[in-house]
Amino acid sequence: MSSTEQGTSSAAPAEPTTAPESAAAPEVPESFYYVHGKDKVVHKVSAGALQHSALIHGMISNLGYTEEQAKANPFPFENIDGDILQMVVDWCNQHKGKPTPPEDTNLPKQKEKLFDLVLAVNYLEIKELLTYCCKQVAMMVKGKSPEEIREIWMIPTDAEDEAAEKEAKKRAGKEAAGETAAAAGDAK
Amino acid sequence: MSSDIDKLAEKTANLSIDPVYDTNWCDMPAEIKLECIGKMKFKERMSSDIEHLTDTTEKLAIDPVYDTNWCDMPDDIKLECIRKLEFKERCSLRCTAKAEKSLVDSQKIEFFRGDVYKTNAFQFYESEIVSLTKMNGKEFSIKLENPQEALKFLNHILKIGVFEHFIISPENATVRQGLINYPGIISSKTIKFNFCGTEIVVAVLQKMKHGVEFISMYCSEEFDHDFDKILEILQIQNVPYWFCNYYHKTDSLHKVARMWIDTQAKVGFTFQVSVYKKGSFEEFSEHFTDRIVSKNEKRVRIRTNNPDCHILLERGTVRYYGYIEFFRLLVISVKMKESEYDDNCKEWIMDMDPTIRCDSYDFL
Repeated sequence: MSSTEQGTSSAAPAEPTTAPESAAAPEVPESFYYVHGKDKVVHKVSAGALQHSALIHGMISNLGYTEEQAKANPFPFENIDGDILQMVVDWCNQHKGKPTPPEDTNLPKQKEKLFDLVLAVNYLEIKELLTYCCKQVAMMVKGKSPEEIREIWMIPTDAEDEAAEKEAKKRAGKEAAGETAAAAGDAK
Repeated sequence: MSSDIDKLAEKTANLSIDPVYDTNWCDMPAEIKLECIGKMKFKERMSSDIEHLTDTTEKLAIDPVYDTNWCDMPDDIKLECIRKLEFKERCSLRCTAKAEKSLVDSQKIEFFRGDVYKTNAFQFYESEIVSLTKMNGKEFSIKLENPQEALKFLNHILKIGVFEHFIISPENATVRQGLINYPGIISSKTIKFNFCGTEIVVAVLQKMKHGVEFISMYCSEEFDHDFDKILEILQIQNVPYWFCNYYHKTDSLHKVARMWIDTQAKVGFTFQVSVYKKGSFEEFSEHFTDRIVSKNEKRVRIRTNNPDCHILLERGTVRYYGYIEFFRLLVISVKMKESEYDDNCKEWIMDMDPTIRCDSYDFL
């Protein structure tokens, strides 16, 4: 499990842990990295766990940080809610170095959280978790009628879509007119 | 660089966010930033541009984009989810909105079997049935009272379906016409035509994706096939195994052999036919008199233009089974010896006609 710390400044260096190895194999100290989401809570995660994320793995490979540099420079994911990032970190830790099972029942059932998780996982490029999440999303509408699906996933009807589009165009037109007027005022 | 840092300091001061780390986004060269932005989805791009987002939310006075739902998902994620939906749910989803319909329709779905047939003729109301079996064995059948609806649905499943086996036995004229006019490609490893006319067989086969592994067609006196037309179709010329049941003419064997000679068919290509009329064997022998390598009452072996291949015709007979004759035509290697011939016709005859799976018949 990761250690979670409030704010970057309070992040304390963690004792490196060692992965259980066979008696003959030399013990290699595990490296740790730090990530934070929108809430700025820093999560300490092992490189092994972060390997699930192609995005972070790529960043780590390119940066070649030392332990100190990694601690001083948490990877900022301002676009991911703190609780969602926590879920992702937990999942990565739980599945560190393990083959991923065909099912994962620990994913959130609430649709808002699930969709946020999907976006985060997609951004972080965690392929296996994305597969689970998409399966979970699909399960939400199992056996449902078009009306029920529309309600569950909040899909607007074509008429609603068209109305929203018209409204957006109208608003954009007004804004453009306002900007032109403001620019003309400035010129004067 | 210094001006960038000044700008950065100004931004961070205005936005009251945490101080700048040693190395961060702002230290990245523009091309790296662009590369990263390119990897971002719409929502993240919005979030990355804090000022823009703030402006937008202030101006619109609506909630920010964090109330996430299906419509916030990028299309590639939606498609990933759609791929995990069963057929029934996909059908429901495509009815919700135009955009979802187009996404669902862009995704292929694998079926073990697709079957288009009519309900029992003894029922008072006859309906067209489309039955689909998924790879996991789950079945989905839809009874379509209205031929137009049947046609619409059929077009949809032909467009999105990737079948292992597809069976067509349409009796309804509208559905038949719809299949003939279907504008897309039909993807199935095997296809079976039950009592369809040549017109529909030719039209459907021409729409089949290349690589069909097996074709079967059932004839009747009403629907006896025109082999000249059928043999012109590329899918027939390239299929390694096909058969025609209950044919009523004697011309099929020599015509198929001629086509194979002309197209240089590969070793292993097989055609089987059951014929209600006597004379196919003799007609074949007469057509290829100058090519005969060996002949007896059960087999004829002929040369092809390819020095490596011969064509072997075998006759299979089922005693006491009416007037029907069974034949198998194979492209064989010239090296194949007579001792290697398969003397058991029972197996291939039963493959053609499961109705004679009965021990009371003698296979000669």
